[in-house]
Amino acid sequence: MTTLNRAWGNMTVLGRVLLPLALLVFIIGPIATVLFALFAGPLLVDLLSANIDVVRFVVAVTGILLFSIPAAFIIIYMEMKVIALMNLRIGPDRVGPAGSLLSVVHGLKVLMKEDFTPTGADSFVFTWAPVIVFLTAVMTFLVIPFGPGLVGQDLNIGLLYLFAVGGMTVVGLLMAGWSSFNKYSLLGGLRSAAQVVSYEIPLTLSVVGLILLAGTMSVYQIADTQAGGFWDWFVFRQPLGALIFFIAATAEANRTPFDLTEADSEIVAGFATEYSGMRFGFLFFAEYVNVFIISALMVTFYFGAWHAPFPFPDVNLGLDVGSLGIGLLLLLATAPVALTLLFALPFWLTSNNRPAWQALVLGFLVFNVVAVGLLFGIAYLELDWVAGLVWFMVKSFLFVYLFVWMRGTLPRVRIDQLMGFAWKWMLPASLLNLFITAAAIVVVRQLV
Amino acid sequence: MTAPSTPHRHPSADDPRILLDDSIGQFEAIPPYPPRTEREAEFYELGDGEMFINFGPQHPSTHGVLRVVLKINGEQVVDLDPVLGYLHRGVEKLCENSDYHHINSQVDPLEYISSLFCEWSPVMAFERLLDVEVPRRAEYIRVLTGELNRILSHALFMGWMALDLGGLTPILWSFIERDEIAEMLASITGQRLLFNYFRIGGVNGDINHDFMSRLGDWMTRAAAQHEANTQLLNENEIFVRRMRDLGRLDRETALRMAVTGPNLRATGTPYDVRRAHPYSVYPELEFDVPTRGHNGGDCLDRYLLRVDEVKQSLRIIDQCLHNMPDGPVMAKLPRLLRPRPGRAFAAVEGPRGMYATYAISDGSDQPFRMRIHDPSFIALQLVPLLMKDNLVADTMAVMASLDPIMGGVDK
Amino acid sequence: MSLVPGMGIVRGMGLTLKRFFQPKATIRYPEVRADVAPKFRGRLQLLYDEWGTLKCETCFQCAQACPIECIDMGGIDTKGRFHVHWGPPETYGERREESAVRRSGRPVADAAFRRFDPVDTSALDEIMERHDYDPKALLAMLEETQAEYGYLPVGALKHISRVTGAWYAYIYGTASYYRHLRLEPPMIETVPAAGEAHVAIEQSYRSALDASLGYAVRGS
Repeated sequence: MTTLNRAWGNMTVLGRVLLPLALLVFIIGPIATVLFALFAGPLLVDLLSANIDVVRFVVAVTGILLFSIPAAFIIIYMEMKVIALMNLRIGPDRVGPAGSLLSVVHGLKVLMKEDFTPTGADSFVFTWAPVIVFLTAVMTFLVIPFGPGLVGQDLNIGLLYLFAVGGMTVVGLLMAGWSSFNKYSLLGGLRSAAQVVSYEIPLTLSVVGLILLAGTMSVYQIADTQAGGFWDWFVFRQPLGALIFFIAATAEANRTPFDLTEADSEIVAGFATEYSGMRFGFLFFAEYVNVFIISALMVTFYFGAWHAPFPFPDVNLGLDVGSLGIGLLLLLATAPVALTLLFALPFWLTSNNRPAWQALVLGFLVFNVVAVGLLFGIAYLELDWVAGLVWFMVKSFLFVYLFVWMRGTLPRVRIDQLMGFAWKWMLPASLLNLFITAAAIVVVRQLV
Repeated sequence: MTAPSTPHRHPSADDPRILLDDSIGQFEAIPPYPPRTEREAEFYELGDGEMFINFGPQHPSTHGVLRVVLKINGEQVVDLDPVLGYLHRGVEKLCENSDYHHINSQVDPLEYISSLFCEWSPVMAFERLLDVEVPRRAEYIRVLTGELNRILSHALFMGWMALDLGGLTPILWSFIERDEIAEMLASITGQRLLFNYFRIGGVNGDINHDFMSRLGDWMTRAAAQHEANTQLLNENEIFVRRMRDLGRLDRETALRMAVTGPNLRATGTPYDVRRAHPYSVYPELEFDVPTRGHNGGDCLDRYLLRVDEVKQSLRIIDQCLHNMPDGPVMAKLPRLLRPRPGRAFAAVEGPRGMYATYAISDGSDQPFRMRIHDPSFIALQLVPLLMKDNLVADTMAVMASLDPIMGGVDK
Repeated sequence: MSLVPGMGIVRGMGLTLKRFFQPKATIRYPEVRADVAPKFRGRLQLLYDEWGTLKCETCFQCAQACPIECIDMGGIDTKGRFHVHWGPPETYGERREESAVRRSGRPVADAAFRRFDPVDTSALDEIMERHDYDPKALLAMLEETQAEYGYLPVGALKHISRVTGAWYAYIYGTASYYRHLRLEPPMIETVPAAGEAHVAIEQSYRSALDASLGYAVRGS
């Protein structure tokens, strides 16, 4: 209680006004929501279900915009921490638990910095270049299926959309490089143009094999075709295609060892040299959003999307909360208190100099952990999309780890090697892959 | 005020509140004075489709404050012009105006990565001027610390090499390696970077327990650790493909340009001052002079040669520890040194090549003339030769493989 | 390079993964300080013995041996009686002068150093006596001193500092703070006639110019 008192004493007048208000909002808010759902709910549901496509689109766009920045934050933190650990150092460890909030601080820092346009820069193009780069990165999310049913728009030309939007990134990079009035930027922009255009071709051709196998260009359906165990994943039917896609996607996202566009030992920061403030922030975030996107695409196309590696037996808990009737309300009202007391009991009993309130707080914490775990477990078993989302994220972040790992290990290739590799090796290999896939399909159809 | 009708006009140029200096926004690499030499006139003339680009003096990858003006055609380097002098302090003149004990601390920061060698060669020259015999224990300690410093320098070289090629990790592993050696040397010399340890007639202080325990601890795992660290790059296809056949230096050119050290040995010439003109106790020690050159002295050769040299240095350290005699570490010398008039030359094999001092005494307590030969300066002269028709990305690779230290180049 | 292309890369990735789990080399700086070697020469300081007295004997050998002449010393001898005014520090000082001449062709210009003139302290002692040597009455003391001497000579301030035990800096600070106290003798004020004022001023400028140049400037 003394802690609370002291905290109250330390607060400013404004804080003393705002804190009770905030508490009130947190209490009144849910009640108001429940009341709203009870009375205005049915009307609203009718309205929304009549326009389900629009609703879906709006929700998807909002969700994507809300999701992309935290995803970038997580990847930036991963990159800092993982590379640090590989370098035999600790890396970020000051802000937040294990330094995990450092990328948030980076974001704030970028927001607070001066947004500077160099003399001689074409300010209109200079301003819009990061917008285009960021938007193209975020727009790609629209067709990525995060779980069964969890897809922004299930376009039947999803793959075409992906490559069209992904290819637009180069326009933004070229704009940034050209408008900066800096030779390093210019070199970086031209490098990225050459690189992205060259690797676009093997990238697209490697996926044609998938289209033949799945018989569709919808990303959602390609993902759905891989249902079953891990032996049904396309990586085992298209190993060469998967490898080509992986390498080409690395080059598309300008990641090591193909990060020539921002080769700091050659052309300082490439197209981003003259950028500062949030404009740089958008270029920076777009880069990491791209990392997540290529990981997600790898998972979607070749690693079974949201499907678990082993098909779990379908557990039906047979929970029907509606059958509890009034008991549900009773349970909701009593269970937290009862369980908190129950979990607090061992803490209180095992240590005789622990005050009761501490035991209660500990018990409450344990109750929260258990409740969240239980809810999550039930949701995982009951709801398909939760399980799908979990598996999708786990697999995607494994790939993100792989990209970060590569960055920590590999040096950069040279521009002529990069182009030579694309045209001399990747393109023939992807054509070969396409040919073998087509031939195999024909042969199998003849046999069967 | 009439606005000049330039096509690229910034909107703020018409704003009277903004003082706009056009020359700031449109910086060109071309110097503001008329060309002074034929070479300059030829270089600063742009051909069709060519442009200048500045590398340095502030650039993420230049080693020190070197500025290189590149004339590029697309990604291809047509020509390049290193611009020196950003770190010039006039060390030779400073040395000529300080007494003999003082010089030690003036030459220390020349090659700041391997400062023991910067001390070693003047100290040796002065000992020859004074005709002092250095105690054998002091000589052994000099060889021991010198070889440690060589490993330190080569370890950093490998890290920088990788960093210039875009690898993030090796530089930090190198720094861990370097830090262990720096701590070790700090426990005997008292400093971590500019050791200031050699004195005329010996060394400043005997080896101590702290040093020996650190050294023993490090020696047990040095070879394995070095092997593991280099494994990351030596076998990496991307690294090898980038370094192979890049910046080939043939033997004749190398000899003509007076290149010494690892850069010369990488062309297949087994010239090592420690063997060619033996000094100190090197004649008593067993070690090989590694050479490379199967690929014609390219960057990979220069890199691998330094990897080999570290192993030889470890061998020398091992022998030093076994053969170290007892005795004093400092010869008896007066406080104020006034050598007889005469001249002396002393060369040592530093991590970058022959590091030599030529000193003339006029009988006073300061040298009349002191000339320092620095291998980095000569290595840097090779860059335009090796860089012709390579790519922009290779500039840094070639420069890193020659391993110049700007402190020594600019003096 | 191995026979299988890409094996080197894979092995390198394996190495980094191994290092990922190895103990780290970072020293968490503010909490953990790295060991400093006992021989570390980063900072010069005088050592104390176990009774808390300075070990330094003021022998000046260190100042003499310092190759870059960065040690400069002054002190009292071991019996605590005299300022050391012979031996190594003087040699060192001489050497400094000599080497300055040798290096730059001119001696060390030490314009800042000026000995103060001795003052007759009998009147001052009376004033001190009146105030019971108490530095709390410093302002009154200084005012009376100024009335006695016409200004505050440095010698007088030094004397006050010595007999009252107050720091010289404290006394000097007090003296320079109040505008009615002056540290220099007052100028002889001549009030010229209004019409001749500018002539007198010009004369004073001219004489000052002559004095600084060392010869008389002709013309107007």
